[in-house]
Amino acid sequence: MPADTLPRSRPPLRQLTPGRACLLLGLIVVALAIMHLHASPGLANGLMALLRAPDTSTVGLVLHMAWWPRVSMALLAGGGLALAGVLMQQVLRNPLAAPTTLGVASGANLALMAASLMAPSLLMLGREWVALAGGGLAMGLVFSLAWRRGLSPMVVVLGGLVVNLYLGALGMVLLLFHQEALKGLLIWGAGSLAQNGWEDAAFLAPRLALGALLTAWLLRPLSLLELDEAGARSLGVSLKHLRLGGLGLAVFITGCVVSVVGIIGFIGLAAPNIVRLAGARRLGPRLFWSTLLGALLLAVTDLLLQRFSGLLPTMIPTGAITAALGAPLLLWLIPRLRLGSSAPPREARTVGGRHPAPGRLATSLAVALLALAVIALLAGQGVDGWQWASPGNSDLLSWRLPRLLAAASCGLMLAIAGTLIQRLTSNPMASPEVLGISGGSAIALIGAIFLLPAPDNLTLVGIATLGALMSLAVLVMINRRSGFQPERLLLTGVAITALFEAVKSAVLAGGDPRGQQVIAWLSGSTYYVDLASAMTVTGAALVLGLAAAPLTRWLDILPLGGPTASALGVDLHRSRLALLALVALLTATATLVVGPLSFVGLLAPHMARLMGFSRAKTHLVGAALTGALLMVLADWLGRQLLFPQEIPAGLVASLLGGAYFMWGLRRL
Amino acid sequence: MLHRRLFAGLIGPLALLFATASLAAPPHLATLDWTLAETLVALDHPPVAAAQVDAYQAWVREPTLPDSVSDLGLRTQPNLELLADIAPDRILISPMFANLAPRLERIAPVDTLSLYRPGRDTWSEMRELTHAVAALIERPHAAEQLIHETERHLAALEQRLNSDTRPLLMVQFMDARHVRVFGDHGLYQAVLERLGLSNAWNGNTNAWGFSLAPLEALIELDAQLVVVKPFPAGVRASLEGSGLWQALLKRQGDPLILDPVWSFGALPSARRFADLLVTALEKDDAS
Repeated sequence: MPADTLPRSRPPLRQLTPGRACLLLGLIVVALAIMHLHASPGLANGLMALLRAPDTSTVGLVLHMAWWPRVSMALLAGGGLALAGVLMQQVLRNPLAAPTTLGVASGANLALMAASLMAPSLLMLGREWVALAGGGLAMGLVFSLAWRRGLSPMVVVLGGLVVNLYLGALGMVLLLFHQEALKGLLIWGAGSLAQNGWEDAAFLAPRLALGALLTAWLLRPLSLLELDEAGARSLGVSLKHLRLGGLGLAVFITGCVVSVVGIIGFIGLAAPNIVRLAGARRLGPRLFWSTLLGALLLAVTDLLLQRFSGLLPTMIPTGAITAALGAPLLLWLIPRLRLGSSAPPREARTVGGRHPAPGRLATSLAVALLALAVIALLAGQGVDGWQWASPGNSDLLSWRLPRLLAAASCGLMLAIAGTLIQRLTSNPMASPEVLGISGGSAIALIGAIFLLPAPDNLTLVGIATLGALMSLAVLVMINRRSGFQPERLLLTGVAITALFEAVKSAVLAGGDPRGQQVIAWLSGSTYYVDLASAMTVTGAALVLGLAAAPLTRWLDILPLGGPTASALGVDLHRSRLALLALVALLTATATLVVGPLSFVGLLAPHMARLMGFSRAKTHLVGAALTGALLMVLADWLGRQLLFPQEIPAGLVASLLGGAYFMWGLRRL
Repeated sequence: MLHRRLFAGLIGPLALLFATASLAAPPHLATLDWTLAETLVALDHPPVAAAQVDAYQAWVREPTLPDSVSDLGLRTQPNLELLADIAPDRILISPMFANLAPRLERIAPVDTLSLYRPGRDTWSEMRELTHAVAALIERPHAAEQLIHETERHLAALEQRLNSDTRPLLMVQFMDARHVRVFGDHGLYQAVLERLGLSNAWNGNTNAWGFSLAPLEALIELDAQLVVVKPFPAGVRASLEGSGLWQALLKRQGDPLILDPVWSFGALPSARRFADLLVTALEKDDAS
């Protein structure tokens, strides 16, 4: 019997119901609040301070102006994010969907950065309006990409993903070059709930109430989305408008929350999943309990954080902590989650047609790669402007060759890894970066940069490898018993990646000058490669690339689903483990050289598909060539565009690949 | 390992100095670190190349880098092809950039000079740094002179101060709700100590001498608030409407507002900060 239809490896949590979970958290919130109030002005005075500001006591003033608004803000923001999370997951039919999936947060972030640098006068109107406008524009972009396909979940998810990447990459570029000017925004980006008065709560509360009312009004039609597409249509529902309504509502709520408190991850992803796990099946109860649970979850986290923040050397923003606490929680939950059993049948994968002669297409890609390599080696700028180097100029080539080799081989490896993981999981959001291996090595690396006095590159690489191996171990440990079921695998990766985001945002918000080094490495740069490591990486790329070739039969069959694949004689457990191991090796090797956030692994397979490479074998070849081409081009452009400043290749690749990808989505 | 490199970095050039003193043209230097750059300018031997020159002019301000300085790009990722083209005689870095050292050594010898090491007195570290930099440019007297002049200047400033100045609380706004508070082990603190002033912030600080804090953390302190500019865009407007900030002003009085000073700098930045602070305190007393 195939693993997907087996009874769960562990019994679901029978004692856990949504009501009990909320009751427990609610008790903790009340207990923490009472402890806080009891400690300084006494309970009665503390409660009085909620209503009015005392004239004399500082303690009462702080309670009235900072503590009570902060508790209210935690409840409001947590509830809002969880509500938006349920809406997103319902409309997009993807348990990985989160309130930020459609690019609201990254749009708001970019808008705030751009306004700080170019039009500070806009910020005089109020930061929340700039953030809301940015989030709205990002959402508009996603909707316009998916409009012609009736806002079908898959296209919306892909559009959101690429818009997130695109705006995120632009934001990183700005941050890299204007670290000093943008340091305040890093605190916003890490999600701080600190309050100065009641203005923000007064801004948020009526908007959330409006959002909740609209959700209640849309409840019945939205629950029809649990049916499959044809079923919903036969009931006379306009899917397009329903999706527009549901997503628009989720985005509105998210935008309002994000604009006042910044980016607080994880609540919107975790609360709906916990509630579903605790047994809430229908949309109504899921919405109700998730909102309550999200509010309490954030309040507990924030109260605990305030209680212990005195012990920390610097302030840690709440958003970073939710992710840091939530990630282990999700890891614990994953083996217990009921996944896949109740999901509706997915639509057929229809992104991209089939090219009539993929062989010819691949040859032209290879020729283009060669031509580009020659240009990247010989053309560049120096003290006297543009120069065309002679091929005999070994001094100059000794700088350029390692970077060229590293860019090409990392692009190739990440693209192959991405193709494997996307076919293995049949999830378009899957990528080697999402699997958490890059995240693991990045956490280790950030630790090394901050804890060691003056680390050299060899130490850094060694520590990063260790981090990659550890997250691989976590992946295997958690997923072995379920037979490496794709959804669980991805959720594990999401949890590790969330942990990485937490570490990153906490570190950056602290304002340490070494933050720039972290940003530079994370952005995927070939800067740190020398000839020896470039040669090693090239060798590894060739060996591992060839190792993927015999696996193409599995890759054609596995996307058909577990039962079908088993019926065709594929050993699910073994094939998935083998593919996963190869993906891990490819990703770890590439990450060590170019950093964790290049996103070539996500984009190249999709780009290859858009070009018309559809069978597994041609898809692999096409993606590999596209990945290499994209990275080489990005590396060279990144070094020339803002000379003498260098834009990391990973960022340029995200911008180039993202633009192509959006154009391709529009054409569908 | 680090110590050995540091030792070699300090002693090597000294030995070189004695060997070649007679025929020395002072070396062309490149540096990635703004603190080293400002020290070089103050010693009257500006580098030929530095990293992020525009951002230096915006955040360090004084002493200004002359126009002859080439821009190398990002501090963490200086353009190596360009640096190789410029071909400096030596490259100066701080330990923050230690991972670049092997690469930079292919271009020119690299010296690592540190400041703000944990457990060390910041002021004596600044003096050591100045000596070390001066030794590299073969002008040991310039260091003596810079240190002497700075210390004399600060002593003169101290004379001008009232003895009953309240403890100072030095902050820089990150956004309307968060500030950096400067405390132990930073440049501002070192200056306060030289001037005989006390710091109201006794909380934790990180390795760079500051701590990130929400506004509410400041309200219980009885102190003279000192705000170092710049205010991020829109912050002043939203502080107007903040109940907490108004209450803070009512308790502590109007803050002193200082022009930006590079808070991770060396002697030149220290002197600038002292000047700005004492002028602001005097103006406050007069009014």
